[in-house]
Amino acid sequence: MTAMVTLYHWEPNANSGKPMLALAEKGVEYESRYLDLLRFDQHQPEYLRINPDGTIPAMVHGERVLTESTPMMEYIDEAFPGPPLRPSDPRERWRMRWWMRFFDAYFAPSLSMIGWSVFIGPAVRQRDPSELRSAIERIPLESRRIAWRKALYNEFSEQELTESRRRVLFATGVLEAHLSQHSYICGEHYSLGDVNGFNLGYALPLSQPERCNDQKTPHIMEWLRKIYERPATRATWAKGRTQMAARVTMLERGAAKRDSGNA
Amino acid sequence: MLELYHWEPNIFFLKPLVALAEKGTPYSARYFDPTHFEQIPVNTEALLKLEREGPVLVHEGAIISSSFFLLEYIAEALPGPPLLPAEPFERYRMHAWGQMIALSLAGPVTTLGCACYLAPALRSRPAQQLQQQIAAIEPFERRAAWAALLEPDQTAAVAAARSHLGRPIARIEAALASAPWLAGAEYSIADIDAFAMLATLPELAPDLVSQDSTPHVTAFLQRMRSRPAVRAALALSRTGRPEQAFVPGPEASRWG
Repeated sequence: MTAMVTLYHWEPNANSGKPMLALAEKGVEYESRYLDLLRFDQHQPEYLRINPDGTIPAMVHGERVLTESTPMMEYIDEAFPGPPLRPSDPRERWRMRWWMRFFDAYFAPSLSMIGWSVFIGPAVRQRDPSELRSAIERIPLESRRIAWRKALYNEFSEQELTESRRRVLFATGVLEAHLSQHSYICGEHYSLGDVNGFNLGYALPLSQPERCNDQKTPHIMEWLRKIYERPATRATWAKGRTQMAARVTMLERGAAKRDSGNA
Repeated sequence: MLELYHWEPNIFFLKPLVALAEKGTPYSARYFDPTHFEQIPVNTEALLKLEREGPVLVHEGAIISSSFFLLEYIAEALPGPPLLPAEPFERYRMHAWGQMIALSLAGPVTTLGCACYLAPALRSRPAQQLQQQIAAIEPFERRAAWAALLEPDQTAAVAAARSHLGRPIARIEAALASAPWLAGAEYSIADIDAFAMLATLPELAPDLVSQDSTPHVTAFLQRMRSRPAVRAALALSRTGRPEQAFVPGPEASRWG
């Protein structure tokens, strides 16, 4: 039997990882279509027929096409059986949505600006410049063309990067303070807020070692390790193909002990 | 106990006023004027004060902010008509509209409205006191949004905002060409959200929203205006010119 759900995604990371992890938590089987973001698979005509915006992820459920990752997660929770991933109390749901927006619109853009300037930009710049130029010209959304251009040609100003570092430090502090009072984003219950936050933050201890570590942010570290221990998280990150997704293994509790043993 | 801190029935403030009227829920209205730097007397520290201009709903001690999520809270927590489509895919569309309106439409709309009404009004006030008031705004992100209004030349900001409006307006026009409401067959908080942000555009940007360029948006705005809840919300204006009431919106995407 063919799966009812087809998911077009890249690595279990950021926006792609959100529906991957939510589907895994719900126990929904899906047909996986891996697109290599760094090879611009998402701007090829076959994919643009699914999502004309050329952004990933996209989920096809029967006749329905969903292209916005955070609303997609709420749909996954509503449309499929399995354990609920949203609190039933409207206040806690509001809290979940407030945090998801804080992750999506405040924390993630700053973190990804730093990530792209140090990791993705240099990796992609190894390629043929004319090939890159035409790849950028094929991007359908102007806002995404600008973002890719900035990332590929390292057009982030020092001022922008400084502001991004300030925001990452600030947001990390806000998250640590919240998790020092609550086990998860919505109190004691695991929810889409945690799915979202893990996709954003699973590599923070590696990418921001001075800001996020066992001494400065013990509650974030415990939260990340707890989420990493969930079978759905293990299964989802096992679908990763690159070193990017493999960074998650540093959340093994043994890995932390080894590190502190060496220190 | 249900209290709503709000200003004039326009943009973000209009949304909960319409939704509460649709629900028929009684509440205590707390009117405040964010353009005179009045502070909401509830602890928004926990919300990082990023939404310090409001609106804010206080429901049995819970502080609810962020206007689309506030609409969702009203829809889910209060009795009355659901304001949410029953069908999960329509609800997905409703969520996606809420996200798009917050991240792509609210910024440019408020830039146009602020350049037209708020910036000239601020610049007519005593400069020194105004600069002190703006310098005292926390956090930095909101201070920067207000300080930008003191720039005498708003031309570049307005041009950028106008160019950013094209895509969200075209999307809304296309959606309303194929269904009566934004989520689909059913009226929902997505329509309240969109109406609040679009209602002033026929005046602020008549070349972008008009009977000729966007017939479906125009008909939608008329349909919304004929709803008793929308009339009731607009009638709460104290200035008589709610369409001129603007505060700076969310910051533009830092990626360009």
